Amino acid sequence: MSEFLMYLTNGIVMGVIHAISAIGVSLIVGIMKVVNFAHGELYIFAGYFSYHLSISLGVPPLLAMPLSVFFIFLVGIGMERTLIRPTYGDEMYSLIITFVLSIVLQNAALLIFGPYPNKPPNLISGATNIFGLYHYGNQRLLSFFISIGILVFIFYLIKKTWFGKSIRAVSQDRGMASLVGVDHYRVNMLSFGLGAALAGTAGVVIAPIFPVTPTGSSAISLTAFVVVVLGGMGSLKGCVVGGLILGMMENLGAAYISTMYRQIFGFIILILVLVFRPWGLFGQKTQ
Amino acid sequence: MNVKKFWIPVVFIILAIFPPFFLSQYWLHVMIISLFYVMMASSWNLIAGFTGQVSFAHAAFSGIGAYVSGMLAVYLGLSPWLGILVGMGVAALLGLGLGYLCIRMGGIYLSLTTLGFSEILRIIITNEDRWTRGTMGLQVPGFFTEYSKASYYYLFLIIAILLLIVIYWIIHSEMGLTFRAVLNDELAASSSGINTIQVRILAFTISSAMAGLAGGLYGHYLMLITPDIPSLGQMFLVLAMAVIGGMGSFVGPILGSFLLEILSEYIRIYGEYHVLIFGLVALSVARFAPEGVIGILGKKWESVWAR
Repeated sequence: MSEFLMYLTNGIVMGVIHAISAIGVSLIVGIMKVVNFAHGELYIFAGYFSYHLSISLGVPPLLAMPLSVFFIFLVGIGMERTLIRPTYGDEMYSLIITFVLSIVLQNAALLIFGPYPNKPPNLISGATNIFGLYHYGNQRLLSFFISIGILVFIFYLIKKTWFGKSIRAVSQDRGMASLVGVDHYRVNMLSFGLGAALAGTAGVVIAPIFPVTPTGSSAISLTAFVVVVLGGMGSLKGCVVGGLILGMMENLGAAYISTMYRQIFGFIILILVLVFRPWGLFGQKTQ
Repeated sequence: MNVKKFWIPVVFIILAIFPPFFLSQYWLHVMIISLFYVMMASSWNLIAGFTGQVSFAHAAFSGIGAYVSGMLAVYLGLSPWLGILVGMGVAALLGLGLGYLCIRMGGIYLSLTTLGFSEILRIIITNEDRWTRGTMGLQVPGFFTEYSKASYYYLFLIIAILLLIVIYWIIHSEMGLTFRAVLNDELAASSSGINTIQVRILAFTISSAMAGLAGGLYGHYLMLITPDIPSLGQMFLVLAMAVIGGMGSFVGPILGSFLLEILSEYIRIYGEYHVLIFGLVALSVARFAPEGVIGILGKKWESVWAR
């Protein structure tokens, strides 16, 4: 029983991290109708940055994390400005460009960081006894609480602030939004940056638990895509629920069915969603 | 088709008969691989360039063709000549299934799901090594009892020409007209009575079948099938060839395939930088010259060829 609860806890911890990463994809899809195939690479880069900042440059880990995320935010802004903006309205070219970019970044990561996983230092050590049932690593618990904090912050940002309102306005009706004075170029650029930063956030939060490797990036993108489709494209709530479902399925599946096929559970979910409920759990049934 | 347009491909086909007489074995091999990429990039272009659907499973479908045909030959002793047809059929069926599920939801779904399909296929092939020999590679028989590069060259040439004729025929037929109608203005096309979804699913199925056929040929030529055939790296190469050559043009992907395959023989010495270089070139072409090398060479030349 306690074993089952531990796998379930692992699933929930992974689930919230999946949710953060998926919101990064979902924001960009919702607002710009662009899928960022380089999402996993941004995640990986953030993980490596936080490692190198803290290990090679001696920056305190707690500072290295936001610094890496900020850096990825700037990378995202740069990507939007130079590569994505000229493709507005041409879905096909944005898909091709972000896919090629993902291959370029993946190879760049292999050259720069090497093929080996690098683990940033833990922020905290030891383990906590949970309800007297089982021991759980403090680093994982901390990552979990940081992730919850970030999720709350994102929801606040999008539901309550002016920036969030303009994001939602643009995603609902680009033409109307610009009529009422929203600069949609700026909104696009900032939301692409924010989407990238969320990939980076997931990367730095997970790196101390599961070190990142350049070759793992396509699996990371794929996980985020599955969550987005499961939750419903453009739905933030869907990302959280979808992330938790996938996180738990993966961990319980890996524990009780097969570890080799962890990835496959996600793909099976994707196909099932497309067959039975293609608009996802919280998506709108349009078209 | 007027007389002038008719002669250009005929001249090229006649010229293509001669390479085995003067090329070394090594360069003949490069030509055979280029012909494989011509089949891959041209059939990918059929969906991406002509209907605007980006599939990332094209290499995966070629892997399906290679593994189905290869495993039938190894475990059941089926002749590769029949095997490649079965492989093509399986690729077509999977293409039809994925196309049916995703295309009604829009292009983004097709891209996401085909990417997932490629990854899953790679994982299954790598893990089920009892049947596929995993990353070690599966040794399969060739087409000819007596191995000769020249016979493979002619085999690849004939099938590549057949595929190109079918592609040319499709894009210049009624079906091609609907493809372009869907690409240019989906709303207008559907309101003038074209079932845009059916047209796209059909294009995707045909294109996947072609990838399956090309993969089957490739596997029996190399006689060693590895998970590299259905990899995303391979997918990237095919995509880069079509993009750099010129998407949405008949000649572009053909040109891109020869260009990149021959070029990669020269920059092979740079090893791991090779993908990075192609990636950066493809990125710049997609950003600054979306019509590719063909677009740069000039529309006049293209109009002689394809219109």
